[in-house]
Parts: sequence; C-alpha cells; structure tokens
Amino acid sequence: MADVTLDRAPGWAAGRAPIRRRSPFMRQAFPYLLVAPAVVYLLGITLYPGLFAIWRSFYNGRFKLEWAGIDNYTHLFTDPDFWASLWNTALLGAITLGVEFAVAMTLAALVYRDPLVRQWRILFLLPMLFMPSAVAFIWKLLFNDGRVVADLLMRAGLLSDNIDWLSNIILARLMLVVVDVWEWTPFLFIIFVAALQGQDKEIEEAARLDGATWASIFFNISLPLMQPIIVVALILRGIDIVNMFAPVHIMTQGTPGGATETMSYFVYRTSFRQFDFGYASAASVVLLILITVTAQLLVKKHFRSGRD
Amino acid sequence: MAIRRTSAVGSTLIRYAILGAWGLFCLLPILYFLTIAFRPRNEIITSHPIYWPTITIETWAKIWEDWPIGRYFLNSAEAIAGSVFICLLLGIPAAYSLARYTYKGREDIGFYILSTKMMAPAVVAIPVFFLFKNLHLLDTIWALMLVYAAMNLSIVVWIIRSYMIDIPREIEDAARTDGASDLRILWSIIIPICLPGIITAAVIAAIFAMNEYLVTLIIATREAYPLSVALANFSGGSDGIIYNAIALVGFLAFVPVLILVILIQDHLSRGLTMGAVKG
Repeated sequence: MADVTLDRAPGWAAGRAPIRRRSPFMRQAFPYLLVAPAVVYLLGITLYPGLFAIWRSFYNGRFKLEWAGIDNYTHLFTDPDFWASLWNTALLGAITLGVEFAVAMTLAALVYRDPLVRQWRILFLLPMLFMPSAVAFIWKLLFNDGRVVADLLMRAGLLSDNIDWLSNIILARLMLVVVDVWEWTPFLFIIFVAALQGQDKEIEEAARLDGATWASIFFNISLPLMQPIIVVALILRGIDIVNMFAPVHIMTQGTPGGATETMSYFVYRTSFRQFDFGYASAASVVLLILITVTAQLLVKKHFRSGRD
Repeated sequence: MAIRRTSAVGSTLIRYAILGAWGLFCLLPILYFLTIAFRPRNEIITSHPIYWPTITIETWAKIWEDWPIGRYFLNSAEAIAGSVFICLLLGIPAAYSLARYTYKGREDIGFYILSTKMMAPAVVAIPVFFLFKNLHLLDTIWALMLVYAAMNLSIVVWIIRSYMIDIPREIEDAARTDGASDLRILWSIIIPICLPGIITAAVIAAIFAMNEYLVTLIIATREAYPLSVALANFSGGSDGIIYNAIALVGFLAFVPVLILVILIQDHLSRGLTMGAVKG
C-alpha cells in the first residue's frame, strides 16, 4: 500500500526542503485544489438536482407555481402506477440481472482457458457496442414490426399463430428482459473472463493433481476468489438496469397497462408527457432517496476492497 | 479409458454447441439489422419477414436528403469530444490527488465522486431541463457536453486513479530530487506513464456519452440531436418507423465504437470495473 505522503516521506523535510518553495498552507491545500474542480462540478449534478427536485416537489402547476405542501407525496404514495413502477423495476431488474449473471458466468467458465479467446471474444462483445436506442429498435423490429421472432418460433413449431408481444404482460416484460440480456450480458462476460484469467493457474493445477473435478475447482476455488469482482460487476450492471429507460421508451411505452413501466419511465411520463413537474419531482425525490441509501450500503462496502 | 475419452469429446462438443449458440444469438440480430440498412422499405415491415434481402442503396439517397445525418453525426462528435475533454481536464488532477496524496477526507471525497455514478438520469432530467432552460442552453451541444461530462466524470477519475496507483513512487521521487514541481511531475511523468489508462477512460466515457438517451431526449429537441436520439425520430407520417434510416445511423455510431474498443480491448474489463479487475 503506497500511502505514505509525499510531504512526509522520509528524508523529504530534512534534506530536500529548498526544492519546493511553497508555503506550508499551499502544501496542505494542494491535493484539495487538485480534486476541488471535479468535486464542485459533480456537486452540480448531484446536489443541485436533488435540492431542485425537493423544492419543486412542494409545488404544483406547469409555469405558475402553486404551493402544494405534501400533496404530491400523499398523492404519490396512493398512486398504484407509482407502486407498479417500483415493482416492475425490481422484478425486471432481478430477473434480468439473474439471467445475465448466469449466462455470462457460464460462458466465461467455458472460454477462459481457451488459448484463442483473445482473438474472438470481440464477437461476443458486439451487442454491447450498439447504442441502447439502436438496440431497442433492432428488437422492436424483430419482435413486433418485422415479426421475425414469432415467425422463427412458428417455423420451429413452437407457436401456431403470430402473437402481439405487447398484448400480454408476461410477453411484454419478457421482451425487455431479452433486449437487456442480449445487449449487456457481454459486459459481465468480459469482466468475468478477465477475472478468471487473472487467477493463478497453479492453484487450479494443484487441485487437479489432487484429483479435484472441474466443477469442484470452479465452485470451491475460482468462484470464491473472484467474489469481490462479481459483486462490483453486478452493482455496476444493477445501477444501469434500475435506470432502464431506452427500451421501455422505444418498445413498450409502459404497455400493456403499465406492466413494463419502470421508475425512470414513470418520472419521464409524469414530467415530460403530462407536464406534472411537481408530481414527477416528488417521485424523483423518492427515487433519489432509494438510490442514495443503496449507494451508501453497497458502494462503500464493496469498492473499498478494490483499493490498493 | 474409452468411456472417459467419449465423455471428453462429448463435453467439448457441448461446450462448442453452447458457445456457438450464444455466438449466433449475438450475431444474427446484428446481421439482420445490417441488411435492413440496405433494403427497400417495402421489404422491412411485412406480415411475414423476408430473410433473403434485396440489397440496394437506393433508399440511402432519400435518407440523406430527408434528414441531416451528417449534422447529427457532427453533433454527437462535438458533444462527446467536448465532454471527454472536460472529464480529462477535471479528472486527471482529481485522480492524481486521490492516488498520490494522503489527506483528511480523501476516502470520503473518493467515494463521493464514485457515488455520483449512481445518480439516476431520471432524477437529473427535470432539474437539468429547467437549469438549461433558464440559461437558454436547451437544444444546444453545450448542454449535452456539460451533462455528459458530469455523468462520466466519476468513472474517468476512478479509472485513471487505478492506473496512477500502480506507478512506482520511486520514479516521482527521482524527479522531485531533480527539482521538478508537483504539477510538472504530473504533466511530464505521470500522464505519459498512465496514458493507456487515460485513453481507456476517455474511450469508455465517449461510449457512455454516445449511449446516453434519457437526458439527451429532454435537452435535444431538434437542432442538437445527436445520433442516439436522432434515430428515435426517424418516423414520417404514413411511412411509420423508417428502419433503414435507423439501421444506417445505428451502424454509423457502431463502427467508430467498434474501432475504439478493439484498440483498448486489453484494458476494457479494467476500465468497465473502474480498476477492480486488472488485466
């Protein structure tokens, strides 16, 4: 751990002081001055929106603001659409993250000792390199407008008639899961492959010589060793999944009956479709609180281990 | 022994079958979408999909005529380049401070910066809309630039920090005894050594900026359309959604991203995890 201060490094104060002519105050302030511009800039995108949303959530009206007190909040907590959006986000998030993890880990386990994986892994990464909005249109075409998925299922004899994917709650949600799994499994895949490749081959070799099976080596050695990285990768993916917006906006717009409306889409719909900015601000304050609490719980705990 | 060999062959077969199936699942939608960019419109939205395309670039002329694709591309390029520049300008000194000095509150500052990665675009959208409205910056590239920079600054700082921590301290100490100032050391020693990390951070920030959709949708209403939002507006009355224009623009954004990712692919997992994975 390289945590010795430059200023307090041995021999520094004694022999080399004349080199730097900074005052003691400047020397202390210097690291703060380096980090300050970034912090100030970031406060602009965290503190300002947070305070603005809290302030705005106590007012109603589009342009002429009227004091509303906590009306927006009481309304919000009795709004079934809001609870539905929370539930949808949690459900879609859990399923999507679970599937992506399982698929990515299986693929990574199958390829990480492949000597040629470096050459062809880019093929598995391709879906991730499209813009999410383009991906949403690819699948909008494949599912609904071009009817490709239904046609393939019919040819395979799994389906007797064309289906409207937006007519059914389960199918509409399935569509969003498929889109996210298709695009973002590569994200977990490349991280898991790197983590597995980074592990000491000799431990595996030793276990194999002791007669351990492939499965027991993987589950008892490799998986526990890479657990910190798995957690970091799942947190990062989880953040993005919770904020899922582009596929909802482009493919389902929350249909059928709000079954695919995520929290992000709820805020977007109430603000920029219905122009109820006070109400949407109340929803974003709740969202902000949920995020801040989760961030405090997860990030501090799991990213610290990555330090030094 | 014979049994073991068959099972080994069998497991290899299963392995390649799984990998092949996933490979096809990844590739086929992309290939299908690629053909869409080259097809006449009447072949795209049909009651039964047509798998063997009639390749034509006839529609391209109309697409370029109907929409200022070149300007969308420029909008994206300018907003992304500007945001990456801001990220590096603010992020490199911050990363250096977090990686190389010990001071009170350093850990908290580091985690504060990281926690901004968790800020939901949906929470940011409304306040940012009113902010830029009041500043008369709505529908400008400047607004996009500032927002993208804020969204990606946290990852840029953490990626570069992770590379800076790895630089042996002796190198700096040698320069310091020669009388170099801290800023001079940062500029002529640290930055050149961790250039791969800086490039990785820049590429990832650029890709995320290219991908951003929600806040972009709210800020850019016409003039400032970047590619991500422009393609969602390719629909024209009776024509419905104009998929060949969408496919064209989708690949227009895809090709530069692909090239950048190939260039940094050995650093990709480290960058995406902000340094948690080395290699």
